[in-house]
Amino acid sequence: MHEIVSDKNWENLGQYPVQTEYDIVKVRQIVRSYAKETGMGIVEQTRITTAVSELFRNMYNYAGGGEVLIEKGQIEDHTALIITCIDQGPGIPDIERAMTDGFTTGMGMGYGLPGAKRLVDRFEIYSVVNKGTTVRVMKWR
Amino acid sequence: MEEQIKFENAQARIEHIEDVLTSVAAGNLEVRVESTVEDDLTGIEEAINILIEDLTWELKQSKKMKEELEEKLKKIQEQQKTIIQQQEDLLELSSPVTKVWDNILILPVIGTLDSQRTQIMMENLLQKIVETGCTIAILDITGVPTVDTQVANHLLKTVTAARLLGADCIISGISPAIAQTIVHLGIDLSAIRTKATLQDAMLYAMKKNNQLVDGKIQVDKYESEETVKNK
Amino acid sequence: MNIDFQERRIPIIKIRDYLIVSIQVDMHDKMAVQLQSQILHEIERTGAKGVLIDISVLEMVDSFIGRMLSGMASMASIMDAAVVIVGMQPAVAITLVELGLEMPGVNTALNMERGIELLEKMINDSL
Repeated sequence: MHEIVSDKNWENLGQYPVQTEYDIVKVRQIVRSYAKETGMGIVEQTRITTAVSELFRNMYNYAGGGEVLIEKGQIEDHTALIITCIDQGPGIPDIERAMTDGFTTGMGMGYGLPGAKRLVDRFEIYSVVNKGTTVRVMKWR
Repeated sequence: MEEQIKFENAQARIEHIEDVLTSVAAGNLEVRVESTVEDDLTGIEEAINILIEDLTWELKQSKKMKEELEEKLKKIQEQQKTIIQQQEDLLELSSPVTKVWDNILILPVIGTLDSQRTQIMMENLLQKIVETGCTIAILDITGVPTVDTQVANHLLKTVTAARLLGADCIISGISPAIAQTIVHLGIDLSAIRTKATLQDAMLYAMKKNNQLVDGKIQVDKYESEETVKNK
Repeated sequence: MNIDFQERRIPIIKIRDYLIVSIQVDMHDKMAVQLQSQILHEIERTGAKGVLIDISVLEMVDSFIGRMLSGMASMASIMDAAVVIVGMQPAVAITLVELGLEMPGVNTALNMERGIELLEKMINDSL
C-alpha cells in the first residue's frame, strides 16, 4: 500500500466537500457530467457514478464526511477521469478483508469496495488507522 | 634553422576564432570567422567557416526529417483511430438483435467471442429489449465454439441483467466445451435457461407466450405494443 | 434530472387496488428510507394489494437504493401486498449485476403494462 498523490500533469476539475447527504447526490451528479464530457457512453457513466456513490457514502457513514478531488489526465493513451476521496476518519484496519465480497462492518453493510472496484478501470486505496482513508478510482472511455 | 611562422595579429585573430567556436558551441550557427588578411592562418579560418556551414546544413536536414516523421506519426495515429472506430462498428453489426416474432428477440452470435464483443452484445440486447418491449430474448451461440471465463461471466451477466429488466433470456446452442467451462466456473445453472438448439428455444418461447397451443400457432395472440399501436 | 435540495415527497397514487410510485428524482439515502416507510404506511391506510414502483427515470441505482428496493419488496409482502419494479434502465441493470446486487425475490417488469399484468397475476395467485 502506498500513499496516493496526484500527477502534476493532471487537470484539476474541482474539489468538493461531502458533508451531507445532499452533497453525496450533488457531487455524484457532477461526476456524471464530467464523465459525459470525457466522452463516456451511458453505461460507463452509470458505472463511475455508481462507484463513487458507494465511496461517498462510506465517507459520510464511517468518517463523518470528506473531500472529493476530481481530475482529468492521460493514463496510458486514455483520457481518464480521476476521482479521489479523502477523509480523516478512523481508517480501515484490515483492507484485504474489506475488499472481499460479503464483508460487513457490523452495521449490516460492507464498504461496497469490491463492487466499486469492479465498476472502474483502476482502483487504489490507502488507509491508516486513526488517521484516515484515501480511495482513488479512474475511469476512461 | 627552422623557419619561424609569423601571423599577423595572431593573438587577436586566435581570440576571435575562440569566440566564434564558443558561439557555435552555444548553438549560434550564424557566426563566421572574419578574416581580413591572407596568410597561413587564413586556411584554418576558412576551414572553420566551412565546418559551420556543414553543421548548419546537417541541422536543417535532421529538422526536416523530424518534421516528416512527426507528420507520418500523426497520419498513423489517425488511421489507428479509424480502425478502432470501424472495429466498433463491425462489432455492432456482427451481432444484430432481431425481433423474429411477437415478443421474441433473437441475437445470433457467430465467431469467437471476446470480452469487448460480449460487452457490446449485452448492451445492444438490453437496449433492444427495452425498445421493443419484448420479454423473451434468445441468445443463440451455436456459432461459438468456445468461451473463456470472462466471456462466460459476461453471458451470465447478460441473462441476470435481462431478468432485472423483466425479460427472460434463453441461451441456445451451447457446445460441450462451453458447457464444461460453465460448470467449472461453478455457475449456478438454475440461473440460466438453456436450450440445445435455436429451434427448441423458439418453441419454448412461443409456448411461453401462448403463441403455440396444442401444436398450433396462434397469430396475433400476443399483443405487443406495436400491434396495439397499429390498430 | 434536477438536483432536488428540498425535502420533496415522492407522490404515491392509488389506482384501483394498486399503489403507483414514480421515482423521478435522484434520491439521497434518507429520502429512500422515508419512501419505504411512506409506501408501507399507504399500504396499510388504503388496503392496497399491489405496489408498482416505476424507476424508468432513475439513471443510477447504487447498493443502498438497491437494498431499499428489495427491502421494500420483502416488507410489503409481509403486509400481504405484491411489489413489482418497472422500467429499469439497461445501464442500471448492468451496474447492479456488476455490483453484485442481483435482488433475488424482487419482481420486475419491462414497463407499466406488463407490471400491472404481473401484479394482477401475483394477486390472483395468492388468493
